[in-house]
Amino acid sequence: MKLVLKPLVVLLAIMFLTAIIVGCSNEESSSESTGNTEETAEAEQTDEAEESAETVADEMNDSSEDAVDYPTEPITFVVPAGAGGDTDLNARTLGKYLEEELGQPVVISNVTGAGGTVGAREVLDAEADGHTALFFHNSMLLNKILGLVDFSYEDMKLAGIAVLDQGNTFMVSADSEFEDLQDMIEFASANPGEVSIATEVGGFTHLQLLALEKDQDIELNIVDVGGAADKIAALLGGHIDIVPTSLGLVTEYVESGDMRSLGIMAEDSVDLMPDVPTFKEQGVDSSFEKFFFLGFPEETPDEIVEAFSTALEKVVNNEEYVAEANKFLVSPTYMNPQEAFDYMQETEAYYTELSE
Amino acid sequence: MFDLFLEGLTSVMTFKTILFILLGVIMGLVFGSIPGLTATMAIAITLPMTFGMSQMDGMAILMGLYIGGVSGGLIPAILLKLPGTPSSIATTFDGYPMAKNGEAGKAFGYAIVFSFLGGLLSIFILMLVAPPLATIALKFGPYEYFAITIFALTMISSLAGSSLVKGVLAGLMGIGLAMVGSAPIDAFPRFTFGYSGLDAGFNLLPVLIGLFAVAEIIKASERKIKKEKSIEYKMKGFGFSLVDFFKQGWNGLRSSIIGVAIGILPGIGGGTANIIAYVTAKNQSKTPEKFGKGIPDGVVASESANNAAIGGALVPLIALGIPGDTVTALLLGGLVIHGLTPGPLLFQDNGDVVYGIFIALIIANVAMIAFLYFGMRFFTRILSIPKYILLPIILVLCVVGAIGVNNRMFDAGALLLFGILGYLMLKYKFPVAPVILGFILGPLVETNLRRGLMYSQGDFLPFLTEPIAAVFLGLAALSIIFKIRDNHKKKRKKLESLDNTNNGI
Repeated sequence: MKLVLKPLVVLLAIMFLTAIIVGCSNEESSSESTGNTEETAEAEQTDEAEESAETVADEMNDSSEDAVDYPTEPITFVVPAGAGGDTDLNARTLGKYLEEELGQPVVISNVTGAGGTVGAREVLDAEADGHTALFFHNSMLLNKILGLVDFSYEDMKLAGIAVLDQGNTFMVSADSEFEDLQDMIEFASANPGEVSIATEVGGFTHLQLLALEKDQDIELNIVDVGGAADKIAALLGGHIDIVPTSLGLVTEYVESGDMRSLGIMAEDSVDLMPDVPTFKEQGVDSSFEKFFFLGFPEETPDEIVEAFSTALEKVVNNEEYVAEANKFLVSPTYMNPQEAFDYMQETEAYYTELSE
Repeated sequence: MFDLFLEGLTSVMTFKTILFILLGVIMGLVFGSIPGLTATMAIAITLPMTFGMSQMDGMAILMGLYIGGVSGGLIPAILLKLPGTPSSIATTFDGYPMAKNGEAGKAFGYAIVFSFLGGLLSIFILMLVAPPLATIALKFGPYEYFAITIFALTMISSLAGSSLVKGVLAGLMGIGLAMVGSAPIDAFPRFTFGYSGLDAGFNLLPVLIGLFAVAEIIKASERKIKKEKSIEYKMKGFGFSLVDFFKQGWNGLRSSIIGVAIGILPGIGGGTANIIAYVTAKNQSKTPEKFGKGIPDGVVASESANNAAIGGALVPLIALGIPGDTVTALLLGGLVIHGLTPGPLLFQDNGDVVYGIFIALIIANVAMIAFLYFGMRFFTRILSIPKYILLPIILVLCVVGAIGVNNRMFDAGALLLFGILGYLMLKYKFPVAPVILGFILGPLVETNLRRGLMYSQGDFLPFLTEPIAAVFLGLAALSIIFKIRDNHKKKRKKLESLDNTNNGI
């Protein structure tokens, strides 16, 4: 009797656990789906309400203050990059000031993996209540262009662009034989595939390299070494010849004499980094600008996005914030949702052309 | 250097800062001791709160959390066979059997003292030789990482327990599980069956807690509820004599050095350090058969290695601004937010803060040993709570921890699934530790193999011609050959003894 009972109990325990799992996941999906329909319904309603409100407001000469109750809980910035990189750094700095503006804590959640697509997807699937935002950059466009994912910025509600980084640079170690960009290009055209250059496959820097190869008709050995911190380690360790990165991330190493910049990919010389020549000045027609944007899930109500975007604008114009961001050589620049959308569309067209 | 040391000392020796360190250590111990909650989580939650504090206070509380979080894991590992954090997996191997033999106090004594010593040694290494060590760590590129991780994978054979085949199978299962999700480098989704929830793959924490903790809880539910005789634990000092202590000296030192070395290499981290130190202690021991049955050497190896990994992980962070694992990555964020730029100039520009951090670490380490020593008596009382009340509470905490990793319900489901898997493995006598080792190391092997091949443009030769890589691959080969020979010998002995007994009859 006892012998039969024991496995039976265990079997029951396992069945019970399975039931919990299935139950949980069902509950989750069902609650999510009902949540979604409710929200879309809500969104539609609020859309209508907003329209009518707008007309009323128009009549009342635009005197209505946004009465939306937001944010009601801490806001999570999903950063699809590791802690310690420039994306993380910019998100944390911005978050610190947004916290004061919005009156709720801003929590940074680093969700790495798959060139940022894991984090981006997490935001797309998140509850559309304005408490989960994506903080990401150019790679969002690239992941779509390169076919990693089938979604892009059009599938989100953009809250705007907050920061521009014009310091996209090629770094070499201090004992490198390349003094400037032309040195490197000459060497590379004489020795195809000899110059090793770091990237994260499918990332922003990957595109810069493709653009350079195309523009100068050279062949580089493009090697994946990982994220921003890994790139620094690879260059300091002498594993790689050139590391494309953001100048703001490596100022310490320039000051200490460990690294040297070959130039930046900006359109014109940048005030924050006056001593660094641009690629254009060195005869290479390639200019890139890294932008950091914030986006919400598509169903997020407009007034929430608006409330957030307004707060964002205030922060970006806050001198204290600007001064702090300038320390990492990035320029806080506010673009509202529509401007951001247009900017990203334009950029996307350029990138698509380059990667073909 | 001495000036800076004094400057650091004065900046830490304020009532408030020390209070923050103590607070950090206590919170860290709580997080570390609850299966599912880890040091990483404690730091991630606390980080934003430090923004409003002064540089030194912020760093003080974070260092306290780090030390406490890594050390707290030993409590459930010894008492309940549940590793509180990935860093204390190997502590369960011998700590729990010791507790079962009525030696919980002794196991605690060894674990606490050697956690302290391992931590202290690593802090001194960090203070004295961080820059040169970090430069050496930089020499490790993909070829070297590939070779080291392959070598570490061969450790599975020593964790296998009674059956080598089952151990290897378990290790392969871990590697297989790690392959679910986006592939490294090109992010191609594998084994997701079109289900986007699997795109990110499985997280280490649900896998670990599921296989170890949930599986143990299911197993405990097999037994009928009965009043367990509460065992009286003898507690006297640390539970061991000075002679015992010196017997463990070399073991503790070797394990600490392993911990520091693995901690320094960005990307491998404390989760593997304790297992590798344990295996090394077992292989070097004159009595390897006693491992797993409650030998203090096992506890000493695991606990000195995981705390030593703390100082190790801080070496590349402080000296070069390169984080080695998730915790140091978060600390890096903390440093930057407080206006310090980690990098080659940190020592030069902010020497006072750097030495302040060192001193905070030492104080946290002392606080850790004090809290654990005085807490020992209370922890063992946890065992007097009936299992049918205690285990469900722990299960709930496990689920909370799993969800907390990435705020996804998916992880809770994964946790329970791995719990069932772990239970089945226990039933069929498969060892569980190799799954974790395979799960952690598998992706490292793959990523570095592919990166190495990109460096060499498809040539496999550099993996064998680069000196460091060649040495480790050679060691890996030797380790496999020895294991096979051992296994043959054992089998032959078994056969012979069988023959003898047959002849006897």
